Formats: sequence, structure tokens, C-alpha cells
Amino acid sequence: MLSYILRRLLLMVPTLLGITAVVFFVMALSPGGVGGNLLNSEGEVESAQAQALREYYDRRYGLDQPKAVQYLRWLNRVSPIGFVTEASAEGETLGGFGFKAPDLGESFSKGRPVLDLYGEALPITLLLNAITTPLAYLVAIWTGTYAARYRGKAFDVVSGSGLMALWSVPTIWAGVLLIGFFANAQYPGLHWFPTGGLSSTDAGSMAFLPRWDDAGFARGWLLDRVWHLVLPVVCMTYGSFAVLSKLMRSAVLDNINADFVRTAKAKGLSGRVVLWRHAFRNSLLPLITVAAGLIPSLLAGSLIVEKIFSIPGMGQLMIEAIYARDRELVLAGTLLGGLISLVCILIADLCYVVADPRVSYD
Amino acid sequence: MTERPADELRDAAEHAGTGPAAEGPADPETGSGAVPGGNGGEALESRGSRGDEDGGDLRAEGTLRPRRSYLAGVVLRTFGRAGAVVGLAWLGVIAVFAVFGPWLASSHPYLWKVRTEDGSAAVSSPLVEHLGPADVTLLVLTLLVLPGLLVWRRASLGRRLGVLLLAAVVVGVSAWWFVQPPATVVYDRYRAAERAGQVEWVLRPPIPFSPSDRQRDRPEAKNLAPSSTHWMGTTVDGEDLASRMIHASRIALAVGFIATGIAVVIGVLLGGLMGYFSGWIDLLGMRLLEIFEAIPQLYLLLTIVAFIQRGPYMLYLMMVIIGLTSWTGYARFTRAEFLRLRRLDYITAARASGLPLGSILLRHMLPNGIAPVLVSASFGVASAILLEAFLSFLGLGLVDEPSWGQMLSQAVGAGGGFVWWIALYPGLAIFLTVFSYNLIGESLRDAIDPYTQKKAG
Amino acid sequence: MHQPLLQIEDLSVSFPGAGGRRTQAVDGVNLSVYPGQTVAVVGESGSGKSVSAMSILQLIPTPPGRYDRGRIQWRGGQADGKAAAQTGPGGGDAGRDGGGGAVDLLGRSEAEMRAVRGNQIAMIFQEPMTSLNPVYTIGMQIMEAVRLHRPVRRAEAEAIATAALRDVGIADPSSRMKEYPHQLSGGMRQRVMIAMALACQPELLLADEPTTALDVTIQAQILELLRQLQREKGMAMLLITHDLGVVAENADVVAVMFAGRVVELANVRELFQQPMHPYTRGLLKSMPVLGRRVDRLDTVMDGATIPEDFPAGYRVLPHDPTLPPPTRYGGPDAALHEISPQHWVLCTAENDPARATATPPRLAYLRDPASAASTS
Repeated sequence: MLSYILRRLLLMVPTLLGITAVVFFVMALSPGGVGGNLLNSEGEVESAQAQALREYYDRRYGLDQPKAVQYLRWLNRVSPIGFVTEASAEGETLGGFGFKAPDLGESFSKGRPVLDLYGEALPITLLLNAITTPLAYLVAIWTGTYAARYRGKAFDVVSGSGLMALWSVPTIWAGVLLIGFFANAQYPGLHWFPTGGLSSTDAGSMAFLPRWDDAGFARGWLLDRVWHLVLPVVCMTYGSFAVLSKLMRSAVLDNINADFVRTAKAKGLSGRVVLWRHAFRNSLLPLITVAAGLIPSLLAGSLIVEKIFSIPGMGQLMIEAIYARDRELVLAGTLLGGLISLVCILIADLCYVVADPRVSYD
Repeated sequence: MTERPADELRDAAEHAGTGPAAEGPADPETGSGAVPGGNGGEALESRGSRGDEDGGDLRAEGTLRPRRSYLAGVVLRTFGRAGAVVGLAWLGVIAVFAVFGPWLASSHPYLWKVRTEDGSAAVSSPLVEHLGPADVTLLVLTLLVLPGLLVWRRASLGRRLGVLLLAAVVVGVSAWWFVQPPATVVYDRYRAAERAGQVEWVLRPPIPFSPSDRQRDRPEAKNLAPSSTHWMGTTVDGEDLASRMIHASRIALAVGFIATGIAVVIGVLLGGLMGYFSGWIDLLGMRLLEIFEAIPQLYLLLTIVAFIQRGPYMLYLMMVIIGLTSWTGYARFTRAEFLRLRRLDYITAARASGLPLGSILLRHMLPNGIAPVLVSASFGVASAILLEAFLSFLGLGLVDEPSWGQMLSQAVGAGGGFVWWIALYPGLAIFLTVFSYNLIGESLRDAIDPYTQKKAG
Repeated sequence: MHQPLLQIEDLSVSFPGAGGRRTQAVDGVNLSVYPGQTVAVVGESGSGKSVSAMSILQLIPTPPGRYDRGRIQWRGGQADGKAAAQTGPGGGDAGRDGGGGAVDLLGRSEAEMRAVRGNQIAMIFQEPMTSLNPVYTIGMQIMEAVRLHRPVRRAEAEAIATAALRDVGIADPSSRMKEYPHQLSGGMRQRVMIAMALACQPELLLADEPTTALDVTIQAQILELLRQLQREKGMAMLLITHDLGVVAENADVVAVMFAGRVVELANVRELFQQPMHPYTRGLLKSMPVLGRRVDRLDTVMDGATIPEDFPAGYRVLPHDPTLPPPTRYGGPDAALHEISPQHWVLCTAENDPARATATPPRLAYLRDPASAASTS
């Protein structure tokens, strides 16, 4: 098992190389070029300052060198094993080969280390996904199982076509409608939720837990955070919930007619035990399989939701980076996104081993 | 075929009656399946070429068998389901909007008689003068080529599709050369002329506003709620929303079909090669697949879109880019299917009898391996439409041209104001179109799944 | 006084068929099983033998299935107070050997049936490959049944399960308990199924083609195991099979089924020596005989001849495929008649109503287990 995990981790390296190479060359070969926006925003005529800045970047990141060399330099900087480099006014000089601290570089547009920026944004995105994924799975498992159990009944029929419709609702539409109707001063009766962000402006001064005191009810930091998360989480959950629920239904239906379920009935187990202990556990297997493919789409989904609800997560940062053509930010974001996807796929595969004794990777 | 002879006869009869209707969906350009019914024998003649070959022998033996190819059968079963019919109906509406958009919603009158400065009156058709190459191409294809192909029953479906494609290219290129609408368009002039009393009579389209007519002469027309003049209200720039909605349906349909078409071609090609040759080609291909699957598609898409030069060809670039980033699923399906098929005896037999590789791959394997690809393609069209909407919503896609996603992004203004009609209608259109494709995809999946098929039968 | 443990009377089960009609999967089946007896039900696929067995435990999903008529009298489970209390209403029926302690299984509720399933009557199935849940250890699956029906603690249940595995000839049972079904071969899995079925000491075992999916050498082992366990535990067995060789070696009484009906019912020696119904004769003729050279084997229909010594007063008709399914054999008014003692055949009683009513055909089941015991 350990050797399998190790092998999988090693296989990630060429995949990550490929991912970054694809993104790097897309950016490098594009007409505007890396950092183009940064300079264009200074105006058509480059000021002396901009000229100096460009020269600095050219030296610092080797932008005047061939594309392949640029990519290799970037790789060397990011990799934990490689040549130790020293940046100076004349450009980078290569030092000895060995272990070193990986360096994601500095954002062109924000003037801050990329690592710090993602260090702030990534936990927020992970929080969103950590709430959304289990929620979607729980609701989907419940509804899917019930739809299968009462197959052909009203619940099944309504949920069947309803889920298909729910799945087709574009996230952008749902987000705009939710914000428009439930977070809008135009409709005071429905103004239940904040327009965006993760906390109120005064959240820093709030107590952690809600409490009642002389001034009345104070919601506290935690409740404030929950209050801000309701709409984004709803927006992120419904789509994957619909897919998972349909999948769960068909899996339960498959298993409910399986031979081993008949055996369980012949043993004298009650219908409830047969369903939840025997049919149910086997039905979870396809849900674990799709989890691997779901993670990248959830990351993409959080990008949209973060944009709509102005949540300063990784997706929001990525969009800003792309608008600004900030090479370092985009590359690091792709690297992180790819890494998260690959790790999640690995975790899903490992979960599958735990859930299905027939599969082993030894 | 495991059905009993009696069933086959009945099937053949049913098929003869409903056959032509099944061809609509297989033909992407028609959108709607409304085709004049023909007599049964001819409908049977028009089935795939494989059916024709073995049909001759059977006829000699005096047995009647539906010479319906596997795919035609799947299509027939698909559109026997309510969901698929509903989906198809909506797509038919969208297709009509796509083709006849300029005739339904335009500031240019169909015909008008206007007096010029010197007092002489002239009848002209500004609408026809302003038709663009794309408008003309679609019109010619829909009104001339398509009916011709539907009447021409002797040819196989594949051949007719090929002719349609060829005609599309020829008409498109010649329209590009010869149709040159005026470069600058002043929409206000029709209303100005009317106000000045120069117009004797005018025949206008049902929605007398072009999608990018900002009604500069009517500053009060910005952000209007739906009314009898503006059925779906106006945007912040004063454009008529209903007109934009209609014109955007062409973009949505085109993006869906072309992007998915590109993705399917790449995916089937790579997947087929991987599946057939396996070995190191498969190994390399799978790594490539993994790379593209591990990047969240939207990230890659955004990166590419943001770094390319914007220009008049943004729409086409977007189609290509969406296609280039969404082929992985098709490759996976085709690979799995080809891996399965290559072990079957009839492929071994084809190889043993020395058939060229192209013939084995295209004639013998592809038609049998394509069904799951069709299913995911129909979901793929839905997701391509969603992707275009996302990009335009984020301001990275189409800016001036009408797109549902771009309209939706205007619903929440910078000041926090919320315009409900701009949020409702474009979103609803995206939803319905995506829903339609998903419904069709689901019916298609049920139709090729032998398990559900048995239960239904 | 001998009483049958299980007595199926006039059982009819139907499923929805084509064109809104219901297909009669089982049509008026009568069968009895005495304690310790092995009754074989033979017939081709779709003859209704599995449906009959599943009906005993009410394992037919309803809907789509439906129990149209009949009773399934069960006299097992005397420890079960409820069973004695719910004596069937027709206790004084002339056709039955007294009513003492019989319950109608078809009349019992789902909750009451659960106390019977796996406890008093156990069942093993044809497909050992798929009949065990792949995600649980075999130990868990056996203990699940034990703990359901016996008030035992985990450790005791484990001991019972280990013993059951040892009984079915599995070496090193305590370590096998921790294994998953996919780690075992087909024969081993069927042994596990048998261990699971027998762990609660049922009085009747329903074996639905237990060896069909196994290869020939394993088949013999499993059948030998079943025979031995049956002797040791004094259990009755309803063996469903299409293999006449299995029947000849294992059964005391044979019921031949066709198209949802029992066409012949007799003890095994009688049936093999004097088959009376054309279908049975065809079935026997189609069996290859070692040492006899033939160009081609007879099919069931080839050998379906009417015996010349068929008793006078009864008429049996050969198979007529043009008739609707239930009447293809013997015409619409055919019923089981006792044409010689303890030998029942599906035929029509001609011109002799007295004979026809002497032993009502709907009560066709063997009365005397002694005749059966003598052959084993």
C-alpha cells in the first residue's frame, strides 16, 4: 500500500510538469505576452519608469530569453530539488545543485510573494469545498436512496425530473438570482443575507460565539461567518448534489435486485437492514469513483461562486491574476489547482480500496 | 436481432411511418425534426449503407427485416421519450431564432418608402441591405439546401450530411466574399426619419430593435422594465433585451455544436488510436489525458482566453478553445470502447482478411463504438454552452455581441442595483437550452442501455 | 403419526406478462416434505420450480409478483409459540393429516416471515459468486444470521459461525471468517452459503440449484456435503434442480414440473422405473446413458411418448404447443390423479367421476413418508 502511494505520488510529477508546461506556453506564446497588461495599464507611451520596470522584470525573470529557457528557470525555482539561484540586479546566477526551498516567486501585479497570496486564499476555497462536498454527498445519498426505495412513486418521479432540471441551472444564474432577491436592499422583505464577502466589516471585534447581553443579541464571529456562507454554499452544492443523487438512485436500484440482497432477505433480515446494510454500502462505490472527477469541477465551481459573491478565495485570486496576465500567480495557481486535483483523485482511489475489499493496490 | 418475425414486421411498419422524423436530430443543422413524411419503402432505402448491403440477400429469401442501422435505432428510441421531445421542441425554437433572428428582431425595416431631401420618394429594404454573411449563409442553407437534401432520399444519411457540410463551406465562403453590409450602421436614422415625417409607409419586424441598437435618440430607454414596446425590457445601455435574446440564440447554438464537434473529433481520434494500438501510444495518450483532466477546465480556459488577443474573431476562437479543452471525456469513452471492440472476433476477422487499417477503424469499429460518445456529446453541448456563458459572464468572452452570459452579467450593476428582467430572461434561456440538451442526452443514454431498453420493451 | 413438515397446497403465483395479461409462473402446485426427507423438484428453466421455492419464504417481490391461490402449511418451529397459536383455519379438513400446529406461511406478515426465514427454513441459491455480499467478510455475513435469530453474544455467535464453517468442511475456519467472498473459489463460496444457511439449525433447507454454477467435481462434493449434513442434522430438504443425475442420487421423492404445474409426483425409484407422464418419459429419455452409443441424443419432446400400460380410465395427452401454456399438457381439465398408490400424474379422469373425486387432485401429496424412506 505504501509503495503504491509512493508510486502514485511520483507519477504526479510528470503530470504536474505537463500541466504547468501547457499553461506556461499558452501564456508565453500569446501575442500580449507575460506581464503585458501591467505595462499597458501605464498607458500607450511607456514612461521611463515603466521602461525601467520592464527591464527589471526581464532580468529578474529572464523574460528576454527563449521561452523554453524561461520555463526551465521557472521550474527550477519552483522545484524543491534543483540549482540554488541567486537573484541580483544582473539577473539570476546558478549555484550548486541540491535541496532548496521552493520559491513560487513574486506577483507582478500585487508586488507580494505568490506564496503569501495563495496562503491567504487557499484556506478560504478549501473551507468552501469542505462544507460543500460532504453536504452534497449527504443530501444526495439520502434522496437517492429514497428515490430508489420508492421507485415509481411520486417522490421518485418528482425528484427524477426535478434533479435533472436542478443540474441544468447555470451557477451564474443561480448566484445572480440569489444575490438579487435575497441579498438586495431593493427587496427589504427578502434582504436576509449579505451581498458578499466572508465576514462583516466589524467581524474582527466580535466575540466568537453568539450571546445575549444588555444590548440584545450579538451574533458573534462564528454565526456571522455562517450567515455569509449560506448563499455561496447553496450555490455550490445544488449542482453536484443533483448529479450525485441520480447516481445514487441508479446504484441502489442495481443493488436492490442483486443476488446478495436476496440472500440477506432469505436470512430473515428486515427490509430496513437489507437496504441500509447490504444494498446501501455497495451503492456508495460509484459515488466514490466519481468523487475523483468531481473535485476539479468543484474547484471550477468555487471560482464562479467566489467571483459572484466576492469571496477572496483562490478562484477570485486566479481571475484577478488572469485579468492582470500575472504569470507567476497564474502558474502557481494552476500548479496548486492541479496538485489539489491529483491529491484528491489519489484520496478517492484510496477510499475506494477501503470501501471495496475486492480492489487492492498491493 | 432477437425479435420474432412478427415483431420485426411490426417494427418495420412502425419504422416506415416514423422513420423520417428520426432524421431531424441526427442532422445538426435542422434543429427541428419537422420533415415531410414519405412512403415507407423509401424511408427504408435511406438507411445506412451497411443495412443496404445485407438487405439484398434477405430480400432474395423473401423475408422482410427492418434495415435500420444500429444508430438509427438508437435515435428512434431516443425520440420516443417525452423528455427528449420536450428538449427537441425547445431547441427547435432556438434554431428558428438562430436562423431567422435578423428577420424577427431588427431596427432595419423590411421595406419602407422614404422621401429624400430633394423630395423624391424611394422604396428600399434596409434589412436586406444590412444582412451579414452569416445571416445569408444560414438563410440559404436552411431554405434551399436543407429541403433539397431531405427530399433526396436515395442518398445515405452520412452522404447527405457530407453534402450539407460541403454546401455550408461553399455558401459560407462565397457569402464572405460577396455579401458586404455597410460598415457603419446608424440605427437612429429610421426613427429620426419617421419623426421628421419623411416616411410614407414602413414595414417593420415584430421586434423593431436591433440587438446593438442603443437607442441614442431615446435616452429615457435605458433600464426599462418589460412593457409593450420592449417585451423583455431594456439593458443599462438602452438595448432591447428581447432582441438581444433572440440574436444570442445563434451564438449559443453555434458554440455548443462547433465546440463540441471539435472536442469530439479530437477525442474520438486520440481515443480510437489509443484503444486500437494500445501499448506505448496508449501510455502516452493516457498521460496527456491525465494532464488535461487534472487542470480544472475553467482555469485552463480562462488562462487561454485571457492571454489571447481579442478581436472580431473572438467568437470563433472561443469555440476552438472550448473544444480544445473538453475532449478528454470523449477520448476516454472511445478508448474504452475500442479496447473492448478490438478483442471481438469480427475485428480479428476483418484484420485477418487484410482490410486496410482505415477501413477497420472507420467502417467496422467507429459505428459500433460511437454510441456512448453520442451520449456524452449531447451533455457536452450543454456544458459548452455553459462555459461560453461563464466566460462572457466574467467579461472574458463576447463583449459587444449579444450573449446570454454577457447579458446576465449586467443584471447586478456596479452600484449593487439588481435588474430582475436582465437576470431572469437570459438565465432562463441558458437554463432551458442546457436542460434540453441534458434531457436529450439522458434519453439517448437510456436508449443505448440494453438494461433499460429491456425494461421499457 | 407422521405429518408433513411442509405442505404446499394449490399454490399459484403470477407475474405481469405481455399485453396486460398475467403469466402464471406457478399454477396449482401441490407438494409435501416430511421431516428428514429430500424432495427434488425437477424441470426445465422457467417451469416454476424456483418460484415455488421462493414463495415458501415469500421472497417473490410483490408487486410485480402476486400469490393468487393456495396455502403453504408449515409445521416446523414448535418452539415458536406463535406458530402453534396460529393454526390454520381448516383444521378439520378431510384431506389433511390432522391440523396440529400448522401455520399458513402465505398468510403471515412480513415481520412474522422474518422469524421463519433463515431460522426455521433456510435457503441457498444457484449463484455462489454473486449471492454473497462482496463488501463484508464471510464471518460477518454468517454471524449476522446467527445473531438475528439466536439471543447470543458476539463471541458465542463467532463460535457458532466457526463451527458452521468447520461443518461444511472449510479448513482453518477461524481465519477464513476474516476473508472476503472474492478471496474464495466458487465451491468454497457455496460451502459458505451452506454454512450460513445451516448456522441456525433450520428444519428445512431450500436448495435452489445449489450446484449448477459449479464445475463437475465440485458439484459432487457439494452434494455429498449436503447429504451428509442432512443426515447429521435430521433436516428436510427441498432440492431444486434440472439435473436428473442429482435427483437419482439424492432425492427420496421427485416432483416433475412443467409450465408452472407438477406433471408427475412419485418416490424416486417408482419415477425412474415407471415414468407415466409423457413429459417425464421424454426427460428421462433425453438423459445420456453411459456406455450407450447414440448418433444424437433425444430431446425432451422426442422421447415424450404415452406409456402403453397407462391405467384405464385416465387419459393423458402429449404436449400440444398450440394450446395456451397452462393447458399444453393434458388439456384444460387435467389434474393430478393418483393412478397407482403414491404415484400422481397430471391427466384427465375419463367417464369415472367417482375415481376422480376419491382423492381430490388438489390434495395431491404423498401421505406416507415410509415409502420415501425405504428408497434412501
